[in-house]
Amino acid sequence: MKEQKTIPPRSAEKILNRIIRPDLVEEVLGDLEEKFYATLAKRSPFRARLNYWYQVLNYLRPFAIRKRSKSYSNFTPMLSHNLTVTFRNFKKFKTQFLINLAGLSTGLACVLLIFLWVSDEKQIDKFHKNDDQLYQVMSNHTDASGIFTWRGVPGLLLEEIQSTVPEVKKAVATTDAHEYTLSVDESYIKANGKFASTDFFDVFSYPLAQGDPESALSDKSGIVISESLALRFFKTTDAIGRNMDWHFWGQRKTVQVTGILKNVPKNSSEQFDFIMSWNYYHDDLIEYKQWGNYYARIMVVLNSNSEMEIADARIDAIFKENLQGENVTLFLTSYSDRYLFSKYENGMQAGGRIEYVRLFSIIAIFILFIACINFINLSTARASHRTKEIGIKKSLGASRKSLVGQYFTESILLSIISLFVAFILVWLLLPPFNYIAQKELSLVPDPRLVYASLGLILAVGILAGSYPALYLSGFDPIEILKGKFSRKTGEVWARKILVVLQFTLSIILTVAVVVVYHQMEFVKNKNLGYDRDNLIYFEREGKLIENSEAFVNELKTKPGIEDAAVSGFMVGGVNSTGGVDWEGKTPEDQVQFWEIRSGYGSIDLLGIELVQGRLFSKEFGSDSANVIFNETAIAAMGMEDPIGKTIRHYQGNRKIIGVVKDFNLISLHTRVEPMIFLFNPEETHFIMARLKPGDEGTTISEIESLYESFNPGYVFKPQFLDQDYQALYASEERVASLSKYFAGFAILISCLGLFGLAAYTTEKRIKEIGIRKVLGSGTWQVVYLLSSDFTKMVLIAIVLALPTGYYIGNMWLENFAYRIDLEWWFFAGAGILALVIAWITVSMQTLKAARVNPSDCLRDE
Amino acid sequence: MKIGAFEELVLLAVGSLGENAYGVAVKELLKEKTGRTPSIGALHSALYRLEDKGCLNSSEGGATSERGGRRKKFYTLTAAGKNAIIDANRIRLQFSKNIEGLNLGLDES
Repeated sequence: MKEQKTIPPRSAEKILNRIIRPDLVEEVLGDLEEKFYATLAKRSPFRARLNYWYQVLNYLRPFAIRKRSKSYSNFTPMLSHNLTVTFRNFKKFKTQFLINLAGLSTGLACVLLIFLWVSDEKQIDKFHKNDDQLYQVMSNHTDASGIFTWRGVPGLLLEEIQSTVPEVKKAVATTDAHEYTLSVDESYIKANGKFASTDFFDVFSYPLAQGDPESALSDKSGIVISESLALRFFKTTDAIGRNMDWHFWGQRKTVQVTGILKNVPKNSSEQFDFIMSWNYYHDDLIEYKQWGNYYARIMVVLNSNSEMEIADARIDAIFKENLQGENVTLFLTSYSDRYLFSKYENGMQAGGRIEYVRLFSIIAIFILFIACINFINLSTARASHRTKEIGIKKSLGASRKSLVGQYFTESILLSIISLFVAFILVWLLLPPFNYIAQKELSLVPDPRLVYASLGLILAVGILAGSYPALYLSGFDPIEILKGKFSRKTGEVWARKILVVLQFTLSIILTVAVVVVYHQMEFVKNKNLGYDRDNLIYFEREGKLIENSEAFVNELKTKPGIEDAAVSGFMVGGVNSTGGVDWEGKTPEDQVQFWEIRSGYGSIDLLGIELVQGRLFSKEFGSDSANVIFNETAIAAMGMEDPIGKTIRHYQGNRKIIGVVKDFNLISLHTRVEPMIFLFNPEETHFIMARLKPGDEGTTISEIESLYESFNPGYVFKPQFLDQDYQALYASEERVASLSKYFAGFAILISCLGLFGLAAYTTEKRIKEIGIRKVLGSGTWQVVYLLSSDFTKMVLIAIVLALPTGYYIGNMWLENFAYRIDLEWWFFAGAGILALVIAWITVSMQTLKAARVNPSDCLRDE
Repeated sequence: MKIGAFEELVLLAVGSLGENAYGVAVKELLKEKTGRTPSIGALHSALYRLEDKGCLNSSEGGATSERGGRRKKFYTLTAAGKNAIIDANRIRLQFSKNIEGLNLGLDES
């Protein structure tokens, strides 16, 4: 043997192999190699190699180069072959197919629903053509308890911005939408409306059906109404120039329709039916036009986004120039962010609805993953049925690639069918889903949905198909055909790990649902410090402004009414002020007080407990210079023995006559804040009444007829305080109920997988069971034998899931200032639930197998 | 049947090698008879072209160790191939008659 045999350069050979038509390779390489050794015999190895390279490069001629399409020339027949085999397999293993189909299609349906929901959420407020450059001016108020971020800004800012900030192209001031009464002749309607300055339609893309968008809001007595409102009032949308009356509390104004607004699209975060002129609002309705009064909402359109920081700084500087000594900072934030990113903590953006968007996206991925695991597990478990097929295909020359192709065809076909079924499911589930989520989602074929579906098909096909494809195609044909084939333990392990993973995810979801449910129950039933049951309220309007006392007295005589009073109380608060000074106040003592206007009996009516002093009462003469604080306010002011002390309110000096126990005005997300009750019955906005439980319906209609006699024409629209309170938690409530269903689906899909696996295992061991039974094993022993494996997996999943669930639950609860403790039994409950469901699933199979007559399963041997 | 000059030479070489006409042998013979050393690529390209035109048939032979265990591909001249050579020669002769003082040695052929 030669010491070192010179061989042709292998890299050149590789290049040729890769590039050249496969049918030429044999001859070419043969000739080249022969030539190489012939040269080698005559010349140096270097020359021989060089020559070889030369020959190879010279071979790269058009005729010899592999044609891409040609190498796949059998693509179509292979595809149809693969499809045939796939369909046959579906038919042959019907249970497996159905389990896979059910699992994947429910999974996909969940994912599609979540996708629709998430993309709808993300679309909100994005339809304005200025969206990219549209910013809202916000204010950060710093006081002792931290930074409070609000969208209120001084209205005087608008003109300053328009005239002195060159970076701002357009600026508009508005109010929040509020419910007002409108009337034409004797027909009264309550509708949501707002005030906005002239450029409103330039800044926002709310199209007008009629009227001039440039000038519709410039006239003080102009009003722009929506088409639907125009139809309700005038039976026509052609209503320009018609007159109507606007009422609010004691105010009444005759306005003329200057524009007809197309109905506000659903994906606008603010819904309103009419807009009136900011000029009227600002000139005639705002009494305190000061830089310290944050009554406006201001939106600006910038020339370019890059100038955002400059504009931000300029606006804040204008404000600081005009108002010194207040710990308030103005800043800009993207307008369309206000829907998803509405929460601020200590002046910093801290999430908001986006958290739910993310949460649901994660749930969607979980569910998809769980569904894919089913497919993977069932296909690898069933692989032994198909080993012969693989062996024969391979020995007939099928490459690994074509087998991989076959399995992917199978998984992608299954995912296409599942997606189809999923669409049907989504179509069926959309109405209830919309109801729970308070959306109007529909399956309109828009491009995003199409992309999402294609993406889903591929994702599921590849995710679910990859493991079986790579694993099954790797079998050694010789072993398979010899019958020596044995499963590697790795495969069984992989399957177990996947089942554990599935159950871990499901249990985490269950724990999350339990935690959310209990917190919501806690919130709903929490004693807030006032009694909100059976409490209704409605607005004081029209004649009720003057006659409210008589009306309230009438109300009190009704048998169904426990008590009634005028009241300025509103869940969530109405107005807050920093304009309260007291003895010993230092410049650092910046306290924001929630103002609650009251009349006689309003505080008693709410069931708020008195701690010191007295409430407003007729017995003591006029109370108009008196105030009542809550305990937190007294503590914030650092007062001891407050009764009889005088404070300075921005409307004048006031004497403290009482202190009430703390109650939660805003929501349980926040702690109790300082509150001040002012005696001002003339300016209370509501009349409130507590109904006697039992016959609320009759009582309400009695109140209504009384209302009509006192205040003819106006719309009586009572609201329950409790419902307002519930509405504060509406988004949590929705998330809670949606996630409940999704967790249910996740568990269902996991169980389908477990069911499939159990069916398979018992089928594999049916002979063993037969023999065991012949040898005297009892039914329960067999069940135990078959279930113990699954039990172990679920137990491991429980161990993994509970800490994770604890962590996630704690994280969510941190959103609430008042929250439940995580009890041990939430977790035990979720674990036991998972275990029981798993047992039930598995026992359906194992019991059947354990009851089998041994002679049946052993007969054929 | 139109064939090129190099193709004609390849046909001649295949014909004269008889049963033993495969790539490397053809190349060696061409070198010996004409002094040309076409690259293997050029030679194969001509061989495939001729096969496509029907001038050559091919069959696979046994594997040998100096070829790294790969089979040889043997070529044989077909009747069409022989005709092609004859055609080419006739065209050349008839054409060259018009050139005075040029004797291509008709007698020798």
